[in-house]
Amino acid sequence: MTYLIRGKVAIFLKVILLTLLGSVLLLLAQSAVAQREYVIAAFLGFSVLALALTYLTKISIPLKFFIPGILLLAAFVIGPILYTVTMSGFNYKTGNIISKEEAIIQVKIRGVEAAPSGLTYDVKLGKSSGLPAILVSDITNLQYFISTKDNRVSVAPGQVTLNEYGVAITAPNFIALNESEFASADKIYSGTRFTFDDQSFVALEGFEAGIVSQQILEYLPTQDVFKNLIDGGIYRDNGRGNYALENDDTVILEPGWRAPIWFENYSKIVTDPRVREPIIRVFIWTVVFALATVLTTFALGLLLALALNKPIRGRRIYRSVLVLPYAMPSVMSILIWGGMFNTEFGAINTLLGTDIAWFSDPNFARVAVILVNLWLGFPYFYLISSGALQAIPSELLEAAAIDGANPRQIFRKITLPLLLQVLSPLLIASFAFNFNNFNLIYLLTGGGPRNELDGEIAGATDILISYTYKIAFGSGTQDLGLASAISLIIFLLIASISLYGLRKSKVLETFG
Amino acid sequence: MKKWLIQDSWRHLLSIAICLFALFPLYLVVISSFSSTGSLQLSSFIPQEISFKNYEKLFNDPTIPYLTWVKNSLIIAGSVAVLSVVIGSASAFAFSRLKFKGRKIGIQTLLLVQMFPAILAISAVYVIMERVYKFAPAIGLGTQAGLLLVYLGGAMGVNIWLLKGFVDSIPAELDEAAKIDGASEVQTFWLIFVPLAAPVLAVVSLLSFIGTFNEFILARLFLVDMETRTVAVGLQQFIGGQYSQNWGPFAAGSILASIPIVIIFLSLQKYIVSGLTAGSVKG
Amino acid sequence: MNKKRLGLTGFAAVIALAVSTLVAPASSAATEIVVWADESRGPNLTKVIAAKGDWVSGYTVKVVTFSSFDALKDAFDKATDASGPDIVVGGNDWVPTGAKSGKLAPLALTAAVKARFNPTQFLDLTYKGKLYGVPVDINNVAMIYNTKLVSAAPKTFGDMVSYYKANKASKNLKAGLCVAGGGMSWGAHSVFSALGADAYQFNSRGGVVYGRGFNATTFGKNVRTYLMDGKKSNGFFPATDTGCKDNFLAGTVPFAVIGNWEWKDYVAKGFTMNLMPVPGVTEGAPGKMFGSVSGALLTTFAAKHGVEAGAKSLLTNFFASTDGQVRYQALENRPPAEKGAQADSTVSAGQRGFGSAASLAGIPQIGAFLNSNKGGANYWDSAPAYWTAVLVDGKDAVKEASKLSAIWRANTDGGKGDL
Repeated sequence: MTYLIRGKVAIFLKVILLTLLGSVLLLLAQSAVAQREYVIAAFLGFSVLALALTYLTKISIPLKFFIPGILLLAAFVIGPILYTVTMSGFNYKTGNIISKEEAIIQVKIRGVEAAPSGLTYDVKLGKSSGLPAILVSDITNLQYFISTKDNRVSVAPGQVTLNEYGVAITAPNFIALNESEFASADKIYSGTRFTFDDQSFVALEGFEAGIVSQQILEYLPTQDVFKNLIDGGIYRDNGRGNYALENDDTVILEPGWRAPIWFENYSKIVTDPRVREPIIRVFIWTVVFALATVLTTFALGLLLALALNKPIRGRRIYRSVLVLPYAMPSVMSILIWGGMFNTEFGAINTLLGTDIAWFSDPNFARVAVILVNLWLGFPYFYLISSGALQAIPSELLEAAAIDGANPRQIFRKITLPLLLQVLSPLLIASFAFNFNNFNLIYLLTGGGPRNELDGEIAGATDILISYTYKIAFGSGTQDLGLASAISLIIFLLIASISLYGLRKSKVLETFG
Repeated sequence: MKKWLIQDSWRHLLSIAICLFALFPLYLVVISSFSSTGSLQLSSFIPQEISFKNYEKLFNDPTIPYLTWVKNSLIIAGSVAVLSVVIGSASAFAFSRLKFKGRKIGIQTLLLVQMFPAILAISAVYVIMERVYKFAPAIGLGTQAGLLLVYLGGAMGVNIWLLKGFVDSIPAELDEAAKIDGASEVQTFWLIFVPLAAPVLAVVSLLSFIGTFNEFILARLFLVDMETRTVAVGLQQFIGGQYSQNWGPFAAGSILASIPIVIIFLSLQKYIVSGLTAGSVKG
Repeated sequence: MNKKRLGLTGFAAVIALAVSTLVAPASSAATEIVVWADESRGPNLTKVIAAKGDWVSGYTVKVVTFSSFDALKDAFDKATDASGPDIVVGGNDWVPTGAKSGKLAPLALTAAVKARFNPTQFLDLTYKGKLYGVPVDINNVAMIYNTKLVSAAPKTFGDMVSYYKANKASKNLKAGLCVAGGGMSWGAHSVFSALGADAYQFNSRGGVVYGRGFNATTFGKNVRTYLMDGKKSNGFFPATDTGCKDNFLAGTVPFAVIGNWEWKDYVAKGFTMNLMPVPGVTEGAPGKMFGSVSGALLTTFAAKHGVEAGAKSLLTNFFASTDGQVRYQALENRPPAEKGAQADSTVSAGQRGFGSAASLAGIPQIGAFLNSNKGGANYWDSAPAYWTAVLVDGKDAVKEASKLSAIWRANTDGGKGDL
């Protein structure tokens, strides 16, 4: 037996590779810490440790095989799953997306409004007595003043020089900022309130304009409330992610934040009929759709495999053509099928001479969806049935024939059971795949048709995952918290069905 | 002669019928790609005109670096195909051959994790990669390397299912022989298993290649720059516009993109049949 | 062997640590303004901004082009300040959701800048009294007729239907009027309006009337008269927009509602831009179409990135300026919202009549109403559903119209708090 790389050289190479990998990961971890991404840094550090332990010691040999896979799985599959599960306990939807700290900042920004006077001025940025200041010009009334955050000083018209638009560019005790200094000054000047009078200040809107503004809302940190300075109204944290007016909690300040509401999303699924009814309807259709797909694709695939089991003429050509739907990019195929089902000009109606509104009628749309999935999926089952048929020992079939069984009996009593035993894990996998077959529904019908006039919420061909996607990312209100809760429930459903199926088919026994 | 008619004619009839069923939409794509109106509307089944306008647009329009996209797709899908097969086969080997505590639980968990509806994971992955971009711009959001990592995240789970059955079917005597010669498990894997399993690995990597090639939901979020896009994302340009949809170039681009895949598929057909079922047949 | 292993491990660890401490993480420059745009605007914006490099002194502007509008929306929905843009050129329907979610930041414009736009255009980008962006270009639709088929502009809706019925067989017409641009809710609003169903009502002072929908009976009866033949559609007006553009270009449909973003395709096939609003039931009362704008929207990320003033300056100095718009629309060929650019001769040639058709019969699109689900359903979904229900499924025109009217009324009432 020869080995690729022997003894000491192998160890040396291994160490070098590990060192390189380790340094890269530690580098990244250090950058992560610098950017305050502690969770990611911890994960990276842990990975380095795990890799070093696995490959440099004899702690666990199996681990050597799958530690890279597990690390990647943890980062990009398990991490997002945990994130989704966590999201499901939050009131996380349009209007309640950012964090509370961020929401407070945003509400403060919106708590500043243009003063009723509506005055706007042209300004020039600069420094006055060392403080950030603006030189304000009222072009219509020819009045000028310099304003800092502490005070405002009028400047006589004679003391300023104007540019061609009538905007003052120099004045006593005012050093204008160079244009090259704008970028670094942005943050400071944008955040400064330049004095105007007792109640208002000038806020920068770009580098050349200032708007006289007032603060309407004030944040009181100790009590964690916002106070409206005009009418005295108090807005409190309502526990659901918004500051709401004390006496009328329908009046809220926006934006809100994502607040934990624990199991409310789940109970909403059960108690709110507007959520529960569509989900139940969609769930039933999803099961029907997945079952119908598996049955039709398997049946057609098996039929073809039986037909082509015998080396007839042209078998090669048939095989090559039959495989094409599986080999083409599904995005393209699904979109073409969508065009084919068009009522007026589609190929299907033209061929059959009918006038069926495929995507406007719920039942025809469902038929269309299953038909397209049949087209997409039968090659796969054809291929695996072919292989499985070939694997059935011919002695078995010959013996049965000698015993006097006719072809149909042979098929029913010997071939089919053997096939099912062999293919059942793949049938289950196909069911699980089609239960979550987002691409097909999204691209073909978009989940429709949906009768909005009658207040329908879910479309006739919506499956659980496409419906959930609409809840999470659709136009209008996006409710990621609710969608996460539904996802978890879908997962529990499929997992239990699949586990049950696997147990029944005894596949897991092979792992015992 | 009569026997032939009864026994074999149904085979031919059925096969021809289904072949037509299979080819029909593809024929329409081809016609659309040669039509200059740029739409999916087909007034007749015989093409009225053969116009190469769409194909020309793909190669001459400076805002459509089609060849760059194809190159990107090939690189990304190819890397994913190779790496994910390595990861998957190593894991399958370990789960099949090596006895260790938690083997059964481990594989059950892997299978279950596969079943979680990943649509919402997109948000999570986006946020993670955004943060990665902050401190490691080379592998964060917007980079091909970052997308590659995300794709590889699922590599272990998907391939294990397909591969494990095949690994099981390789007789254990070969392993024993290697052990007697003093080979470690890792050496057994690389020097004995991999050469034996080469056809199956080729099939799995082809399936992985096709899947990655077609993926566009994650890719369009990640690869924004015109030069880094994949074909799947680039073609979306024609049909995801705010107001207009341009089916002609889309059809042309799709056809060109699928040619290499179809060729590889057809040439590896024999392997594919045995590979897909070897995972489920024992002995 | 173990000692050696440990030694090697230690060696590796030391090197790793040493290397990692050598390199410091990169810091970012706060002088770049990032603008996100879709596949048609992005390249044009890039060219215009590169041509004159100093729209805002001291800053560079980076335009990121997405592969499609959908991709842009998708990415913007998910963006956080780690990767988000400072300005996004997007649809007006992003304003209510973006503002609510804290992704878009309000800005105030000086009176001088505001005067450069039609005041109703700001309604599209306003949420709860605050403005979130600058109008960039106008989107509207108008009706075009095929001069080879129809000799004179139709004066009433009935004229069009009569023409269709008379010539259907001889000229092999596939339909009479179809919506080629803008979709069956937005583009088709001109048809809704022509037959008596405006999305929201205005009073004589130009203010919005709440608590009232359109007259469902009148509208339903008009639909029965003009679009139906008993219980079925008479073929004049298809319920979907599929194939409309192709059929019109092929000469099998005499009237079509087209969008101002694709006039070039029609001119290329030899059609003259004889644009007009959709004629109403009585002469002189044409259907009204939406005049909406797409906007350059300011994000909250701009302040986070420390380029707030720079972004605001870019909005006023480039997007809202005559010079910027003239240069940009020379490439983009859409009608600019800014008045000075509208008057520019090179730009107005690109408008080709849409501007005048728009001014004749336009209503402002109020994003806060149309884009919300207040009341349970929204305009965008329920409008096309009406056509399908009545023209395809054969449901009663008046009954479905009252459902529609109730939905739109609930929508308007619910949205008024957001205006």
